[in-house]
Amino acid sequence: MIPASFDYVRPESVDEALEALTDAGEDAKIIAGGQSLMPLLRMRLAMPDTLIDLDRLDSLRDVRDDGDAIVIGALATHHRVLRDPLVRAHAPLLVRATAKVADPAVRHRGTFGGALAHADPASDLPAVAVALDAELLARSARGERRIPAADFFVDWMTSALEPDELLTGIRVPKPGEGWGVHYEKFHRTAQAWAIVGVACAVRRDDGRVGDARVALTNMGPVPVRCRAVEEALAGGAAIRDAAELAAEGTEPPSDLDGSAEYRTHLAAVLTARALAAAAAV
Amino acid sequence: MTDRLEGWEKVTGAARYAYEYPLENVAYLAAVQATVARGEILAVDAEAALGMPGVLAVLSGGNAPRLAPVDDGELAVLQSRRVAYRGQFVAAVIAETPETAAEAARHVRVEYAPEAADVLLRADHEGLYAPEKVNGGFPADTESGDPDAAFAASAVRVDATYTTPAEHNNPMEPHTTVALWEDDGTLVLYDSNQGPSAVQSTLAEVFGLEPAQVRVISEHVGGGFGSKGTPRPNVVLAAMAARVTGRPVKFAVPRRQMWATTGYRTPTIQRVRLGAGLDGRLDAVIHEVVAQTSAVREFAEQAAVPARMMYRAANRRTRHRIVRLDVPSPSWMRAPGETPGMFALESAMDELAVLTGVDPVELRVRNDAPEDPESGLPFSSRNLVACLREGAARFGWDARDPRPGVRREGRTLLGTGVAAATYPASTRPGEAVARAEPDGTFTVRVAAADIGTGARTALAVIAADALKTDLGKVRMEIGDSRLPRAVVAGGSAGTSSWGTAVVRACEALLVRLNGEIPPEGVEARASTADEVRSRQKYARHAFGAHFAEVAVDLDTGEVRVPRMLGVFAAGRIINPKAARSQFVGGMTMGIGMALLEESIMDEAFGDHVNRDLAQYHVPTCADIRKIDAVWVPEADPHLNPMGAKGIGEIGIVGAAAAIANAVHHATGARFRDLPITPARVLAEL
Amino acid sequence: MPRIRVEVDGSSYEDDVEPRLLLVHYLRDRLGKVGTPVGCDTTNCGACTVLMDGLSVKSCSVLAVQADGREVTTVEGLRAGHPMQRAFHEEHALQCGYCTPGMIMASIDLLRENADPSEDEIRDGLEGNLCRCTGYQNIVRAVRRAATEMRRPASEEVTS
Repeated sequence: MIPASFDYVRPESVDEALEALTDAGEDAKIIAGGQSLMPLLRMRLAMPDTLIDLDRLDSLRDVRDDGDAIVIGALATHHRVLRDPLVRAHAPLLVRATAKVADPAVRHRGTFGGALAHADPASDLPAVAVALDAELLARSARGERRIPAADFFVDWMTSALEPDELLTGIRVPKPGEGWGVHYEKFHRTAQAWAIVGVACAVRRDDGRVGDARVALTNMGPVPVRCRAVEEALAGGAAIRDAAELAAEGTEPPSDLDGSAEYRTHLAAVLTARALAAAAAV
Repeated sequence: MTDRLEGWEKVTGAARYAYEYPLENVAYLAAVQATVARGEILAVDAEAALGMPGVLAVLSGGNAPRLAPVDDGELAVLQSRRVAYRGQFVAAVIAETPETAAEAARHVRVEYAPEAADVLLRADHEGLYAPEKVNGGFPADTESGDPDAAFAASAVRVDATYTTPAEHNNPMEPHTTVALWEDDGTLVLYDSNQGPSAVQSTLAEVFGLEPAQVRVISEHVGGGFGSKGTPRPNVVLAAMAARVTGRPVKFAVPRRQMWATTGYRTPTIQRVRLGAGLDGRLDAVIHEVVAQTSAVREFAEQAAVPARMMYRAANRRTRHRIVRLDVPSPSWMRAPGETPGMFALESAMDELAVLTGVDPVELRVRNDAPEDPESGLPFSSRNLVACLREGAARFGWDARDPRPGVRREGRTLLGTGVAAATYPASTRPGEAVARAEPDGTFTVRVAAADIGTGARTALAVIAADALKTDLGKVRMEIGDSRLPRAVVAGGSAGTSSWGTAVVRACEALLVRLNGEIPPEGVEARASTADEVRSRQKYARHAFGAHFAEVAVDLDTGEVRVPRMLGVFAAGRIINPKAARSQFVGGMTMGIGMALLEESIMDEAFGDHVNRDLAQYHVPTCADIRKIDAVWVPEADPHLNPMGAKGIGEIGIVGAAAAIANAVHHATGARFRDLPITPARVLAEL
Repeated sequence: MPRIRVEVDGSSYEDDVEPRLLLVHYLRDRLGKVGTPVGCDTTNCGACTVLMDGLSVKSCSVLAVQADGREVTTVEGLRAGHPMQRAFHEEHALQCGYCTPGMIMASIDLLRENADPSEDEIRDGLEGNLCRCTGYQNIVRAVRRAATEMRRPASEEVTS
């Protein structure tokens, strides 16, 4: 299966990329690592007129320290994220979840920014961004803005990026000391998409979980932050009881791999597992 | 322990599969599939496609060459306005590049008069009928004694219905053909198939040619599992396109198009009734099967056939009913008949074991048949009991607590299960040529196909044995219809059939050799038609036993298989290295069948909805743990000169039942519908 | 049409390519590197795995233009008798052979990351490559064997 034809643009700088984006208009598609987009192009579920390839924008591959946060370049590959010392030190949840993304070959090409901009709720990393209160850095000719992860995912495969905006980086706050993390993914085979995934980070206070951040993969059109679970834990609830609230406010899909009811059940089960695993650290 | 002869070519990327033959002036084909499940084609508008630069031709019902009708209606490609199923090939674009062909195919407009389609198999479907024969040439129905009365009078009765879903073979190499017509009118096909001779004769018939005018080359084939056992529509389409354009045409069926056009295992609905005494001895066996076929091809999955010979019982009935639906044509998939049939029968045996309290291994031993219950013929060899005993010892079965649902580790339930396996040991007629070369080496020729089975290597080992020479001195030539005619790699009959011809040719050659070999060499040909036909009558079958351990997650319902053992009795094992891999590969596909594989038919859409490897799940390396296969010694003088039974299919037979039985042992819940998905399990916990 | 310059298996190529041309089709149809097969359309099977700048990629999910300026190694470009090839051959880690080129390239990539992987690490590391024939047991064995051989110092390899 072969993609439909398209014009190809490979800007050498972010400014050139923004220019290309403006020139190409609505029917342009950005390709970073292409690991989500290529299958769509091949099946012609995406048929852009213009493909803007960010491959040469090496400035967007780095991870830098930004005081109370780290900023991960949008084009940092999953492979890079897994090995980067700053990410490992300050965003261990992202490392855990990235290790579960697809397979090694896909992780060599696929990028953190690409996975977020693609805004597929079945993808593992959007929930991580939401759980970590990450901010997404969007640039356009009009300037740069920071979009909180919670606002970035608007609908199924739809992000808050304007057509002329480019995701340049992801700002992940440093969590401070004492956090344990876990990403729990449930899928039919090792290479299949998550039926449900749970990203969580917890801080232990006096031997029990106090602070917690929990978000779910594939429990609705966008990743879902589990505020009810977090509040229950903050209020002193046991993990098991708090986890029962995981599916609150979600709109899980029904598909070939699981009904909405099954997903609702899984959300509680996997949240309990993820919290327990994170708390054990 | 012989290394695969073509192994080095395969690890270096030098092995050539059908698509990869270097040819000049090649054109590429992209097929257009029907978008309705039933109806009439009103018009095909090819204008836009033809106007695209690089497009050479658009074929459809209006302009396609007329073909001779053959039994398999799937091969009447572009011969009718009728649409028999969604996904059927209705047009094709031939272009200078694959990119152009794919693009233009999207611009072919086909207008349909759609009709209401009937795509769902039901046990009470009014269209069910008894086929004249089921696959393999067996009668659709058999009966002996008074099964209903015996069942009714039995002290212990199992009456259960089991279902298996549509499953797709999914060989890693898609069905691929490169077709070209030579100036003298010869059709040459580089083709991915399980038997060049069969493709040759069928395509000759379709195109009204003499068999000698068709040449089929299939040196390396990237798997088939039955789906390449008969020519599929892609071969015909490529040959037509090459004729119309006058150029070699390449067509690799995209994975998503394979779902409708290259065959699959029919879904089945199977009712099994077992009547037994308190001691578990069977008095009645009733196995009734419902399956589907398409509007253009009758394929009747012989799922109840193993119940005819598996266990002793005085009263028995087997019955097959099929219904023609507006669906793609089902066909062979690894051990058609036995695979779904033994899931049902061996699950029912486990249910009987639970009801009677007889150990499942012992129950099968107790019901072992001394001779073929149906025909009364003696078995050429039957070592089911040896497999069960050997497996029980190796697996640690004797320590098993039979109570279900009592082994718990944290949030995991553990269980073990057993199931028997069987597959016919067939030999079919064929030919082979053996040649002594002046340099002291030998060339052995037979139009066999090595679809990954290791046939090339096994035949060379057989030839070297027969010639009393070293393996290194034998050059094996297979995979070309110009070689001596051979049966398909199917029905686990390949090695047995080809090997018999090879042995006879080698023996004939040895008789002719006396001293110096002349420069032109010495050649001997053998045909085994008489030998195979005049064989003494025996019931010839391979047997086996699967032992599976499962871990069931109490919270998610997920089933994992940490350990599985298969023990087989399959005559003499010619190449242990390849044989173990074949068995283990079959068992792995059995794990897929038990837990993952299912093509889901959507009634409104009229087709399978999960038509790719992203949505049709097959086990990855990370999903499979320890699987081992061993065999018991078996000397059977009634098979063939090698004393070998086929091993390509038995590995999957019964594997799913062993897992389902283990899940019952773990959970106490019986799963009669495959696959055993996490959601299904959870609902029963 | 963009012009690309790619180093494939030690040779340099310069070609004009349609932007939508997939790397795997460039390798097979333009360069004749047909040792890298195509098995699926969805990035699942991994049969087309090659190394790009030393890292495994699925060449059906990379555009040829994206390989511009990069170095690609296919199974045909491995040095003669690579230990991974020998191990796959001798452990019978293949049957039909169609997944084999990708499986070998993915396995080489795996050992680059982890020179002494456990059985489970091998299984997990090869999750992106499907084999329908072998049941994977011999593939795991082959990777273990190649790992042992590749860790052995070169001097020992010569003398043994």
